[in-house]
Order: sequence, then C-alpha cells, then structure tokens
Amino acid sequence: MAAPALPITDRFQEVLERLSTKSIEDYYNPYQQFDWPDRLDEDRMWMSPELLTPYGTPLFDQLGEDTLRRLSKWESINFYSLNVHGIRELLIEVVNRIHMPGFEIPSDFFHHFIGEENEHMWFFAEFCRRYGDKIYSSTAMRATSDWEPEVENFLVFARILFFEELVDFYNTHMAQDASLCDTIRQVNRLHHQDESRHIAFGRELVSLLHTRMRETISEERHVEVEAYLKRYVVFSINSLYNPHVYRDAGVADPLALRNALLADDRRRTIERKSVRKPLAFFLKTGIFTDDVLPVI
Amino acid sequence: MTNPVTDGIDQVKTWIVKRHPDRQDIAGDLDLIENRLIDSLSFVEFVFLLEQVSGRSIDMDTLEVDSIRTLDAIEQHFFTARVS
Repeated sequence: MAAPALPITDRFQEVLERLSTKSIEDYYNPYQQFDWPDRLDEDRMWMSPELLTPYGTPLFDQLGEDTLRRLSKWESINFYSLNVHGIRELLIEVVNRIHMPGFEIPSDFFHHFIGEENEHMWFFAEFCRRYGDKIYSSTAMRATSDWEPEVENFLVFARILFFEELVDFYNTHMAQDASLCDTIRQVNRLHHQDESRHIAFGRELVSLLHTRMRETISEERHVEVEAYLKRYVVFSINSLYNPHVYRDAGVADPLALRNALLADDRRRTIERKSVRKPLAFFLKTGIFTDDVLPVI
Repeated sequence: MTNPVTDGIDQVKTWIVKRHPDRQDIAGDLDLIENRLIDSLSFVEFVFLLEQVSGRSIDMDTLEVDSIRTLDAIEQHFFTARVS
C-alpha cells in the first residue's frame, strides 16, 4: 500500500486546511443531536416518491398507494443500510492508509473524516434498528483485490467519492422535501452538511491519485480501470433495487419487479440525474473517456 | 420431462456465458471466482439469480463464497434436496 508522495498542489493544501478548520468549527455531538421519536407515522411516506425505484414507470401506479407507502419505508431502511455498509467498508480502507507512506499530507483530515463517518454510521444504524428493526445485509463479496497498489489507492477513493455523491443526491432531495417527517429530514440534512466537505476533499484527492496512477500504468491498464469503475457505478445504482425490500413491502414477486425495473429504460433516464455530478467529474478529469455505462 | 437440478444449473451457466461470450462452456469444477467469471461487482446479481432459479432465499450475511465457487458446489448447495 506504500506509495510515493502525492503530487501536492497549493490548492490541495488550501482545501485541506479550510476543510479541517470547518470540521472543527462545525463539530456537533450526534448522540445529543437527535430527538428520536418512539415511532414514525406509517401512514406517511418515509422517502420522496420520486426517489422510489418504480418511479417513472407504469409499475409505480400499478403498485397502489398502500404498497408504495410500505415501499417508501423499506426503501428508506435499505438506503440507510447501504450507507451503514458503505461507511463501514470505506472506514476500513481509510484507517488502513491514515499513517501510511504516501498519505502524510491528508492524514490530518483523515482523522476528521473517520470521526465524522463513524458518527454517520451510528445515526444511520440507529434509524434502521429503531424504525425498521433491522439493517439489510451487505451485498459486498469479501474478496481480495488483485490491482497493483497505485491503482488500488485510486480506486478506493474514487469508489468512496462516487458513493458519497450518489448518497448526497438523495440526502439533498429528502432534506428539502417538506412532506417528510422532521426526523427523516434531519438525518438527511445533517449527513448532507458533513458530506459536502468530504466530497470537496474527495474530488481533490481523487484528482491527485489519478494523476499519480496515470504515470505508473499503461494505457491498456487505464482502460481496465475505467471499465471497472463504470461497473462499480452501475453496481451501486442497482443496489437500490433490492428484492428483499420489495418482499418486505408486500410485492408478490420481488425478483420479477427488480428485473422489470432494471430492464426499463425510463429508469436509466432517472438514474442519470442522481449520478450527473460524479459522472461529470469523472469525465472532466479524464478518469472516464465517455459516459456510456455497462450492463452488469 | 424436465429435471429441476439440470435445468437450474443450465440457467446459471447461461447467465454466466452471456456475460462472458469468450466462454463456450463451463466445467463443473472450474473456479468461477479465480477465473473472474464472478467478481465483487457481479456477485450480488449472481446471488439474486440463484434465489430466483432455486426458489430459495439466500442470506448474504452468512453465505460462504465457497458454496458458489464452482457449478458443482452451486448444484450441491442450491439445487439438490435439502437435508433436514
């Protein structure tokens, strides 16, 4: 995992100092921040309708109001569960690098990052356990990586950045949706506030890691890295279409619903909105040569 | 007459070959993970396929990777009669 020093720029140093200062100034105690009600109203939506996976297809209306309300509850539990597992996995990677050669400069900010992410993981898990009585399973396969260290370093932070940007689209939307209850809006608002710092940091770090990686790998290898990252983008989007969620919402054939939604091109148009920002970043930096996404 | 075991394995094989057109056939003892026919990103899709074809619910928290490592292992774990 050891790597040569990052090609640090003045801009990166300034961003790090600004974000570290802001992390200290904006610090809050999440364990005191929330006034968790005993239960959330099951007759209200728990997630904005336009964020539900059948939205934009004929299946949305066919499911009926009761099923959609149940779906909004379980898709929100799935969304927070994905956050729990995503954060758990990214923490492992950042802890592995925090005091390793090649990461001396961002090390200080990593301390803020780890602390904040741990707290996010806590409040997402708390939400799932209190109101869903469970956290949905992780969909990750525990496998060892066979990328060379420079590529692995880049991919770890590129995956983290993409995951944060995707989640932030949902957080921003739900924080502003006045039809949702205060608890749901607050969880999403607080996460969005912290994540805007992490995303700003992630974009700078991923750009530097990409520059450093390009100097050490062949063009052919870069094509493989791009293909992998594009598959990761689709994998992340598809994790929102969870048949276990559909089953909990009372859908008769959960896998058929998932397959129908994944086969419906109207969903691709809607998904594009949720990944517009990270895809634009990957294109601008040359990480992606085009925005064509594969089927996995 | 159809055989649910061979039909199930055939569907699994078809799913893999469709994603890896360079493969004509897949031997029962071929390591699907080592040969990159299933990787960390296609794993979840593959598990959902197994649930659909086998009709069994699979708990990803407790799923052992070795139980999906080869077609023979998949047949043994997901398509033969359960031992009660």
